[in-house]
Amino acid sequence: MVEAFAVASGKGGTGKTTSTLALGMALAADYDVTVIDADTGMANLLFHAGLDDVEITLHDLLLTDCDLPASAAVYDRFGMSVVPCGTSLADFEAADPTVLRDVVADLAADTDVLLLDSPAALGSKSAVLPIVLADRIVIILQPTVPSLSDGLKVQEYARAYGTVTGGVIFNRVRQDEDVATIAEQATRYFDGRTLATVPESDAVRMARRVGKPLLAHAPETTAASAFRSAAATLDIHDGDAIGVADRFRNAVVPERL
Amino acid sequence: MVFYEQIPTGDLCRSRTDADIAETLISALNRSLTGYVVFEPQQSILAGEDDRAVITFEQGVPMAAYHTDNDVVGSEAIDALSDSGTPHVDVHTLPAAALMSIHRDVTDTFAVAPTAPARHLTNDATLVERTRNVAPQTRVDGTDTQTAVEAFLADTDRIESIKQEARAEAAARAAEWGFTDQLGPPETTENENIDDEDRTLEDSAQQKGDNVYESESDVNARHNRTSSDDSKQNQSNSPGE
Repeated sequence: MVEAFAVASGKGGTGKTTSTLALGMALAADYDVTVIDADTGMANLLFHAGLDDVEITLHDLLLTDCDLPASAAVYDRFGMSVVPCGTSLADFEAADPTVLRDVVADLAADTDVLLLDSPAALGSKSAVLPIVLADRIVIILQPTVPSLSDGLKVQEYARAYGTVTGGVIFNRVRQDEDVATIAEQATRYFDGRTLATVPESDAVRMARRVGKPLLAHAPETTAASAFRSAAATLDIHDGDAIGVADRFRNAVVPERL
Repeated sequence: MVFYEQIPTGDLCRSRTDADIAETLISALNRSLTGYVVFEPQQSILAGEDDRAVITFEQGVPMAAYHTDNDVVGSEAIDALSDSGTPHVDVHTLPAAALMSIHRDVTDTFAVAPTAPARHLTNDATLVERTRNVAPQTRVDGTDTQTAVEAFLADTDRIESIKQEARAEAAARAAEWGFTDQLGPPETTENENIDDEDRTLEDSAQQKGDNVYESESDVNARHNRTSSDDSKQNQSNSPGE
C-alpha cells in the first residue's frame, strides 16, 4: 500500500516543511511514512529534522557517478524515514535530476505513505514535478490574499495533471484572525476538506531552531494537536506500491531551472 | 546573489549589538527610513559564520527581504530571520532611486508584505497596525486584512479568472516542459468538493494511468498503441486500486 502526497503551497513562508514533518509524524503512528525533501534547489527539511550534519543526502544520490543505494540517504528519525536534501549550490549543479525519479521510485516501493515537501514555486519543470507525480496534494494556506491566490493556482496546476486536492490546511493563523469565515468561503473553491486550522506558534520557531519536528518538540501545543487532527482527517487510500514506484521511475525526466 | 548586487552601499547611520528587532522596526518607521537594515544573528557571529538578512525600507515601510541562509527571499527570508535569535543590526540610508531596481523591477520576487516583519519578528500588534496605516494603500489592499480576504473570496469572477489563467499557464507550460501528454481533459470549474472525492480520485487515477507515468519514449510508443491497450495500462497503473 502506498499513497504519495505533495505538500505544496506555491508561495514561500506558509510552513510547508513544518507541515510535511508534522503530518508525517502524525501519520507514522499508523503507517510507514517516508518524507522526502523534493525541493532540491532550496532544501531546508534537513534543518527541521536535525539532519544538517549528515554526510549523505538526496543530492549525493543524484550524482551521476554515485553507486550508493537510495537507502543510504534515508534516516530513521521521529518514527519516520526521512530523506533530506543538501543545500550546496555546487551539489545542486552537479546533481543529475534524471536520477531523482529512480531514487523516489525505490523509496516509494517500500513505504505506506510518501510525503514530498514540494518547492514553493510553479515556474520550472522540476518544481512542478512533485505535484504531477503525487496522488494527491495537500495545500498549505495562510489566510491572506496572496496565499489563497497562489494556492488556487497550485490546485489548478495539479488538476491539469490529474492530481486531486486531498485537503487544505490553514497554517500560521494569528489569534486576531477569524479564519472560520474564510475557511468556509474557501471550501467553495478548494477541493477536499479543510483539514485543520493551525495557529501561529512560537513553538514552531523553537522546534526549527533545535532541529526537531513540531510534534517531537512541542507535542502538547495547540498547533501540534491541529496537525494530528489534519492527519487523522486525511483518510489514506490503499494504493498499488508497484504502480506508484513505476510512475516515478517512468516519469518524464525533470530538468534544472 | 542578485539582491546584493542591486543594492549599492548606503550610509551607515546606526549600528547596534543585541538589537531588539521591534525597536529597530519602530525606529525605521519613526524616522521614515529609506534604505536597508542588515541583521546579523549573534549566534552566527560567534560561530564564525556569515549568515545575515537584509530588509529594505521605503519611507519607513518594509519592502523586500533576503537572507543568506539558503538564499531565501521575501517572506521566507523573514521566516529565516525569525529563527536566528538576537541580531547585530546595521542601519543604512539610501536614496529611494538607488533601491528602485529592488523595489520596482523585481518586486514579486523579493517583496514582503509591509506588516510581515512586524507580524513575524515581533509580538507588537501596535507596530503591525502602525505599519499598515503608514504603508501605501496599494500595498495593503488585498494582502493582509481579513476584510480584504473575505472580499477576495466573495469575488467569484476574480477567482474564476485566476483559475482560468492558471489552467492556461499549466497547459502552455506543459508544452514547454514536455508534459503535454500528462494533461487531463478540460476541468470543470465548479468545486467538486468532498462528495465528489471518490469520483475525482478515480478520474485522477485514470488520467495518471493514461499519461503521467511514461517516459518520453514510452509516450511515443503509446501513440502507436490502440485505445484498448491504453485501457489495460490504466488498470495496471492506477494508484487508487
